[in-house]
This record gives sequence, C-alpha cells and structure tokens, in this order.
Amino acid sequence: MSEQKLFTLRNPWFGAAVGITGGIAVLSFLAGLIWLPLAQPDLKISGIWDAICSAAGVPRAAPQSSVQQPDFKTSSVVLTSEMLTHPDQVSIGRGATLAQRCAICHGPEGVSDANSPNLAGQFAAVTYKELNDFKAGARVNVVMSPFAATMSNQDMLDIAAYYAYLPRVPSNKIDAELAAPRIVVTGAPMRNIPPCGACHGDIDTKAGSPWLGGQSAVYIKAQLEAFASGSRHNDISQQMRNIARQMTGEEIDQVARYYAAQP
Amino acid sequence: MTTESDSHLGEAVAARIERRWATLSIVVVGVLVGMAIFIGIDHATMPQGHVETADPKTLHLTGEFIESNLGSAMEADGSVTVRAIGQQYSFTPQCIVVPSETPVTLRATSADAVHGLLIEGTNINTMLVPGYVSELPVRFKAPGEHAMPCQEFCGIGHQGMWAKVKVVDKTAFLRMMASRRRLSCVD
Amino acid sequence: MLINKRLILAHFWLAFAVFGLALILGAWQMFVRSPFNAWHFNPEFYYRSVTAHGSAMGYVFPTLIAMGFGYAITEATLEKPLVGVRWAWAGFALVAVGAVVAMIPVSLGLASVLYTFYPPMVGNPFYYIGVVMVVVGSWIWVALMSINLMIWKRDNPDRPVPLAMFANVAGSYLWGWTAVGAALEIIFLILPVALGLRSTIDAGLARVFFSWTLHAIVYFWLIPTYIAYYTIFPRAIGGRLYSDAMARISFILFVVVAMPIGVHHLFADPQVGAGFKFMHSVFTGLVTLPTLLTIFTICASAEIASRLRGGRGAFGWVRALPWQNPIMLATALSLVMLGFGGAGGIINMSYQLDATIHNTQWITGHFHLIFGGAIVIMYFAIAYDLWPHLTGRAMDHFGLMRTQLWLWFIGMIVTTFPWHYVGILGMPRRMAFYDYANPAISPQTFSVGMSAVGGLILLTSGVLFFVVLIRGQRAERSDAGAYRFSVPIHMPARIPVALNSFGLWLTLMVGLTVVNYGYPIAQLLVLKQTNVPAIYVGASR
Repeated sequence: MSEQKLFTLRNPWFGAAVGITGGIAVLSFLAGLIWLPLAQPDLKISGIWDAICSAAGVPRAAPQSSVQQPDFKTSSVVLTSEMLTHPDQVSIGRGATLAQRCAICHGPEGVSDANSPNLAGQFAAVTYKELNDFKAGARVNVVMSPFAATMSNQDMLDIAAYYAYLPRVPSNKIDAELAAPRIVVTGAPMRNIPPCGACHGDIDTKAGSPWLGGQSAVYIKAQLEAFASGSRHNDISQQMRNIARQMTGEEIDQVARYYAAQP
Repeated sequence: MTTESDSHLGEAVAARIERRWATLSIVVVGVLVGMAIFIGIDHATMPQGHVETADPKTLHLTGEFIESNLGSAMEADGSVTVRAIGQQYSFTPQCIVVPSETPVTLRATSADAVHGLLIEGTNINTMLVPGYVSELPVRFKAPGEHAMPCQEFCGIGHQGMWAKVKVVDKTAFLRMMASRRRLSCVD
Repeated sequence: MLINKRLILAHFWLAFAVFGLALILGAWQMFVRSPFNAWHFNPEFYYRSVTAHGSAMGYVFPTLIAMGFGYAITEATLEKPLVGVRWAWAGFALVAVGAVVAMIPVSLGLASVLYTFYPPMVGNPFYYIGVVMVVVGSWIWVALMSINLMIWKRDNPDRPVPLAMFANVAGSYLWGWTAVGAALEIIFLILPVALGLRSTIDAGLARVFFSWTLHAIVYFWLIPTYIAYYTIFPRAIGGRLYSDAMARISFILFVVVAMPIGVHHLFADPQVGAGFKFMHSVFTGLVTLPTLLTIFTICASAEIASRLRGGRGAFGWVRALPWQNPIMLATALSLVMLGFGGAGGIINMSYQLDATIHNTQWITGHFHLIFGGAIVIMYFAIAYDLWPHLTGRAMDHFGLMRTQLWLWFIGMIVTTFPWHYVGILGMPRRMAFYDYANPAISPQTFSVGMSAVGGLILLTSGVLFFVVLIRGQRAERSDAGAYRFSVPIHMPARIPVALNSFGLWLTLMVGLTVVNYGYPIAQLLVLKQTNVPAIYVGASR
C-alpha cells in the first residue's frame, strides 16, 4: 500500500478528488459571485467586476438620502461601557471643590432630602452625560441648565468623578420588606418593557443608565412621566422613552416607591 | 456452498447497487442546489447584495439613523423606506407602520450588541450586527398587526425586546404620511 | 484488546456526569419558560443556565466522548496499548480543569453570554480561558490519534487501516481544524477585551470565525455516532457491514466538506457578501451526501443481518431484526431522528427557506433533534456496548436499556416537534420568558407546554441511563472477551492509498477553507471602522 504514490496525477483518486472539489468551487463561485448578482435587477450591478465585488462583500457607501433633522436638541454624548471607569485622584479632588456649588440641592455628601437626585456613588458616565445634556440643551431644567452652561468639559468630568467616588449612603427610607413589584422583576415583555435591573444595575448595567436605589420617589416618577410624554428626550435613540411610554401610571408609582426604598 | 465466483458476483452486485444509490444521492443534492439557484433568480430572494458599514457609537449624532430620521419615509418612486435601529432593549421606532402592497426597503442597524429582528407571520428575518447596516426588500400583502421580537440574545433584557409592525391600507398610509416626513405608530 | 480501561472509563464517566448536570439545567429551562411557570423570576438565571447548558453539552460532553471512544478504538483496532498514555491523562486533566474554570464564572453570573459568546458582549475572562483549556486538551487527543496511527502504519505497511480507526482519526482531524475558528475568535478578539487590554471588537468578524467552528463541530459530535453505525451496529445485530469503501468515503467527505459551510449560519448577517453565502450553501448541500450514503449502507447492513436470521420479503425483513437488542433499537431510533432532523437541516441550508425560521425556536428544535436525539442516543449505545469490556462486569439489563432508549426517543420527539412548529409561527429562541396571555403568542402556549413535558421525559430517561451504568459497574465480574468491530461482507484485499491515508483530504479541507473563508475574513480584518465598543456583562453595581 505504501508504494503507491498519493499526490500524483497517475493516481485516479487524486485527479478526481481535486478535479471535482475544484470544479464545484469554481462553479459555485461563478454562480454565486457573477451569475446570481447579475440576474438581480434590484442590485443595479454595472458589470462583472462590480458583481464580484458586491457579492464578495466589499463595503459600499450608504445610498444618498435626505436626512430629516430633529426639531429639538438630542444628546450628543457618545457612551461606551468602559468610559470613565478609571478615575484619577486629581480629577476627584478638583471635582470635590467644584461640587460645593451643587451641595444646596444634592447635599454636601451627594445625598439630600430635596427630591433632587442623590449623586453619591452614581456612575461617572451618568453624571457626566446629564451635565453635558443640560449644557447642550438636550435636557432642560430651570435650575440645572444655567449651572451646566458655565461648565467646561473638564469640570463635568471632575464632578462626575467626584460623585462616583463618594460612597452610596443608604437612604433613610430603606424598606427591605417591600417586595419588588412585577414590573421591576420581569417588566412587561410584550409592551417592550424589560426588567429595570437589566440596565440599572441590579442585574446588569448599561452604559449611561443611572443607579436608582435610594433616589427620591418624586424624582423618579417625574422623570418617567417626562420620558413618557416626550418632554424629556435626552435618552439616546429613545431608549427610555420607549419604555416609559408603555408604563401605566400605577406601574410608574410602584417603580418609584420601590427604588426609593432600595439601598 | 459459495464458490469463489459466487463471491465475486455478489461483490459486483453489491458495488452496482451502491453506485446507483450514490448517483441518486448526488442527483438529490444537485436538485436541492438547483432549486436554491432557481428561486434566487426567479423570486429574486437572495441575501443582502451589498455590505455597508455604520458606526454604532455615533448613530444618534449624524447620518440616516438619527432619531428624527427613523421610521417610514416616502421615496420619489413610490416605494417606502423604513429605517430602524436595535438597541438594548428596544427597537426605535417601537411601532413601525407600513403600507400594504407596496415595495418597502427596510434599513436597520444596531447601536450596541448583536440583535436580530423577525416579523411574525412573514418571512422577514435579519440580523443586526453593530458596525454593519442590514437592508432588506420586503412587501406586506394585507393590512394587519405583527409582533416584531428581537431574535438574537442581546443581554439580560432580551426577552423584553418586542416591537410591533402595523400594516395599513395604502391610501390610509398616504393620508397619514401627508402631514409628516417620517412616520411611525408610536403614540 | 482494551488496556487502558481506566483512562477510557474516566473519559466516559466525566462526560456523562457533565451531561447529567447539563440535562437537569435543560429540563429546568424548559419548565421556567413554559406556560406551567408564572414567570416571576430574574431572567438572568435563565441565561446563566443556558450558558452552562450549552457550554457543557456543546464543548465538554461530546469532546470527552470522542476522546474516550477514540482511545478505545485505538487500542481495540490497532491491538496494542495506546502510545502516550501520560499525555492522554494530561489532555483529560486539561478538559476537566478547563470545564471547572469555565463554569465558575458562569455559575456566578459573570459570563451569561451563552455558549456562542456573542461579542461585543464580553464576560469574565476565565470563562473563555476555560473553554480554550478544554479545546487544547482535546487537541492533545488529536495529536495522539495521529501519532498512534502513524506508528501502526510504519509497523504494518501492508495492512489497511481498520475502518473504525480510520473514521476516528478522520474525526480527530476534523475537530483539530474546525476548533481553530473559535480558538482564533477567543484568543485574538475576545480575550484581549475580556482582560481589559482592548475595549473594542469586530462583532462581525467574530461571528465569521465562530461560524468556522459552529457548523463542523456538529460533524465532530456526529462522528462517534457514525462510527457506531458502521462498526458496532452490524456486529451487534449479528450481521456484517455492507461496504468498507463507502464507509471510508463517507468519513472522507465529512473531513473535506464539513468545514467550508459554516457561513450558512450567517445567511441573515450583514457582514458577509451574498456570493460567499451562496458558495457555503452549495457545500452545505454536499454535506448531506455522506449522510445519504450512510443511511443506505446501514440499512443494507441491517437487511443482511435480518436475512441471515431468516428475514424475508421486500420489507418483511424488518420484522426479523433483533429488536430486543438495545444497539438495534438505539440505531433505529437514531436513524428516525436523523431523518427528521436532516430534513429540517435541508430547509436551513437554503437561504430562501432559512429566512422563515432563522433564529426561531425551529433552530433549537433542529439541533436538539440531531445532536440531543440522533447523536446522543448512539452515545448511550456506545456506552452500553463498551461498558462490559471496560468494567469487566456483565451488563444485562436489556429491558431497562430499551425503556431508557425509548423514553429518550419519545422525549426528544415531544420536545423538538413542538419547537419546530412554534418556530414556524415565529417564536424567537433564547428568551427567558414569554407572556402567553398576549394574543400575539397565545397560540404557541400548548406547543411550548408539550415541549416542557418532553423535557421531563428526557430527564427521566437520563436518570434511567445512570441507573443502568451504575448497575453495570456493580454487577458480577464476567469476561466480555475481546472488543471487536464489524467486518465487511467483502473484505477488500487492497485499499487505494487515498482511502487509507489523509494527506489528500486534509489538503482539500484546508484548501476549501481558504477558498471559502479567506476573503470574508481578510476583508473584515482590513475593515477597521467596524470595531465596536465591547459591552461588559455581569458587571452590576
């Protein structure tokens, strides 16, 4: 058996195997990359070379179309899941100084009873994004907008780093007995409401989604209602409006009460 | 009693039957591939003809996938283009409205993870891979409502990613479109 | 002649232990997402469980079976002790440790990315490291199979390689090459991101690499089953193999065309050109060829056995088959499931039909029917056949074995047929729960309920399987004699060198991979703007 040579044309198996395999490859190439694309009127192929390139998957530019511009400001922040996750001490220190002017509403330690967001321990990307949106006018608030208008990009980074560095203080409204309402645990799939915790940190986090535990119920409710009505629209590509507008008033109340009582 | 020649005869018969079966098998495969080619040409249903890219980080800043440009748009040739994005965990627009009996081009991409969309009750089914644009020519026969779930695992909220497609009568669609540049059935 | 029985038994026991755990998870998943359960639970547990179930069933269980069975075949057919026993144990240890390393982060919920990885989602690096260890452990086996064959050929230049060994080595080469795709994906794309060295990844390219592994891995799972069809089944029912050459050609076809077809998993993906999708579709059509040939050869071999037992008539011979024999039963049930699963597969391979069922529950039904059904039921048969030779104890609970096999078959049908059906209705796969109260999906309620019942039947069958194995391990000692494989009716005096070696076929395998994957991969490698930000999962709080 060993005396027989394998890789030689005198071996009929060699010739047949290579010939048949190569033949099928060549035929399927001709059919798939030339014949089929040319036979499709929708593709508007200009010639054989164009057919091959298109069918091989050479990227082409998007067809020109007129783009409908928004009649309101949208968020211009680019979010990635690793952004602002490595704060430096200098930035935190500067942030501490800058944050003194925030203390009236947000508390000296980033926690207050004033129905404004508790910022202590909030993800830096969240604080940074909201400040940016206030400054750009994508989010509007009579108190916050003027504050943000004067901030530089570095100021916003520093303040975000500082609040992320502060420890989350357990809210005095913690109620461990309060069972998670159904809308929080499972959402309502057919209404396109995922579980809150899939983004907001109980189960998993999504870049730009705030930690909700211990926030004021009044504040959470107001924001959900603002998203639902569209008066707040700085959530990128409607990711939060899509959810809030599907929620009932009762569900919004449940969510607000539940998160206010969480650590 | 089997003799030497019997055994040879048996072997030849066995080989012949086997060869026939192998030939039949090859014909079966040939027919299957031929069918795919025929349908591809006759019904013009082939995979997306071009590869196109899009940056998922900046979809909301510039280009055709900004928020205000999503939804259904009327084209000069009477066809409709629907633009949509998939993101954790919703499609935008959350409710797509299209006319019946009209050529529709669906253009969609992902803003984060790999998603997919399928429209129940139709053969419309495509992946949304971040970085690339999916384009699909579709046509809806009759008015009605279809569920449009995400069909690819995209994170812990995947099971909550259901959108809707409303197919309306063509004249009704034109009426709705008259006052708007982009249309969706999100209230 | 089985010498390193402990080595082989260790592989089988670990494989089945992993299988048992993953089976429990599978049954649980079926239950929680069915209408029987009020879906008030954290969906993350579901995805965690799917990740564990898929990784265990896809990467660990069949790999260990192929390895253990491969060692048994080597010693039994080459009639000498395995060369490199220490390396074999090292490979086993790597697989075992790798499985644990991968499963720790998964069970902690730090890598709920499913066994198909799905970048740009990225989980804990140890999950991927564990998977790589499993693959590297199995590559040791690939090398050992090749070395053992080479040594034997050197010592026996004039003898044809025994069919079982030929097929076994074919399977090992197929795995060695097909695992490269996922290995490249993990090592060059995912791990750098998981370890924090990079923060972007090309999800499209990763999917292309994964498709390189994803389809041919099924044929790697399938090869032990086909080896059992060809070399255990005819002997076990007292017959002979119809044709030795056709068997070799079937395995060779798997080696050559199982690889360059993976892009049919990406028919609906936007990053691969339509032309290459078509080429892969054509080769996917070709891969039905070895299966069609196999079905003929196995049915013909069964007929031979039946006629030797006095069976007569055009179809009457079927009744004369030894249906009391578990191997007979398992093979028949396996072929039925292979028939249904294969028909479904032919639908998946054509672009036009695939669009109707892509990523629906149909696909889950399809691969559970083929892998969980047709393939795994033969793994049971292989274990039943080998056990007395490995343990040196009698194994004669044939009634129990038949019950177990029937339950597995019924369970698989009851599970997967409704899945196929709801898939056609458009039910997406891999969702933690469904709101069956909603009119859009309420028509699927009954079918999903049925499939959960099927899951329970499968679990029962799994329990019975362990009962049989453990009883076998505790039975009285008895000598089962030498382990033998079937012989063909016409033993060829000479075998063409092409059917006795792999050089030509491996060249074609690699060549076709380059032709069918070269451009799609090269192009995406060049495309820099499609690197997208990674999404780290499991990083709560």
